[in-house]
Amino acid sequence: MGTANSLSYRFLSILILTIFVGSALHAQTLTKKQQDSAFLLQPGQERIRKIKKSLAKTFVNFTNNDLSLYGSLNLSKQKINDNGITAPINYLYNSLNNNSYEAGLSGGFRMDGMFKEKHPYSFSFGINRITVGNNYQNIYSLAPFIDDFTHFKADNVFTTLSIAAHYKKLLPVNDMNKYKFYAVIGPSFDYKISSISEENLINGAGNRVFINLDLGTEFDNKGYYILFAHYKLGNYISSATVPVQLNRFEIGMSI
Amino acid sequence: MKLLYTLLIALSTFTLFSCSKETSTTQVNVMNNLLTNKNWYLDYSITEASNSTTPVVVKSYVGQATYFITYLKNGDTKDSDGITGTYTVELINGESQIHMQLKTSNSNPFEVIYNIISVGESNMVLSKVVTGPATKLYFTTK
Repeated sequence: MGTANSLSYRFLSILILTIFVGSALHAQTLTKKQQDSAFLLQPGQERIRKIKKSLAKTFVNFTNNDLSLYGSLNLSKQKINDNGITAPINYLYNSLNNNSYEAGLSGGFRMDGMFKEKHPYSFSFGINRITVGNNYQNIYSLAPFIDDFTHFKADNVFTTLSIAAHYKKLLPVNDMNKYKFYAVIGPSFDYKISSISEENLINGAGNRVFINLDLGTEFDNKGYYILFAHYKLGNYISSATVPVQLNRFEIGMSI
Repeated sequence: MKLLYTLLIALSTFTLFSCSKETSTTQVNVMNNLLTNKNWYLDYSITEASNSTTPVVVKSYVGQATYFITYLKNGDTKDSDGITGTYTVELINGESQIHMQLKTSNSNPFEVIYNIISVGESNMVLSKVVTGPATKLYFTTK
């Protein structure tokens, strides 16, 4: 047994030595072109170095940055006011209006840090698959022929890219050296990247950009992970013939 | 800092140009999609009585399965009386209309224009464009 162990150690040592020598030899066999380029200034690398330097200078007050991945479950509902629609189109109200929160998913990157070493913040960039329940504010009828209808059919499944900037306020709850609870507030933007249906574009109703006000709480377990619960209240960034208010609850985790 | 401003300007421009993508044919396309490849059964018609200060309506209950009209995706139309022809959905001065070029069973051509009062998945109200009292036609799909 002892002889077998000794042999295997010897074999491993020889193998490691061979790899080391091989790589050293490989390093010595650089071509003339590679040797020359090692001394030349690379324009691409130089540009990246300049951008990094510029960013570091711009964001000099943003320190202790910690990058993590996040995933969350979204519950969404939208309020739709179709008063501005003039097209003579009817959709049966009961078939479209469910007035409930529907589940979707989100995922992305998030960076937590400190501004001027005393204000905690987080930036996040994510992709959201939103399934949304509809609450139509207006009911029309052409009595006695058509009972309840709306003039507009809003898209209820769409994909957005989002960016968010949140200010975090540490709450004096529990032992703050171990676990940290934060109250969170800040804006976020959503940009629809999925195609918009023609029904949703009618009379200039279509819009791609939402601005949201985010409120919520977060729980930081010694920096290992963060659990968060956010409420997002969103509206179209530009005026639209059909104002839509998007309400979302986001429950998730970042690691 | 210069880089940050450039990014902000690029983002703002992108946002402004990406707000709406409606085209002039959007409304017509949506109405066409609702209209085509269905049998529209005439439930009843209402004609406003002429020469009256307070309009009196004359209701004609046709009853289903007696008359229907079909608008096909390829622009053809036919009805249960054997009248065939072509149709187009048009938006004229904000008014949504169906223009129909028809032929009777004796091949006599004639044109009919309807204003679309409302069109949906299963309900449609049209108003015949004529001089004199207007007639509204109420259709449903079965």
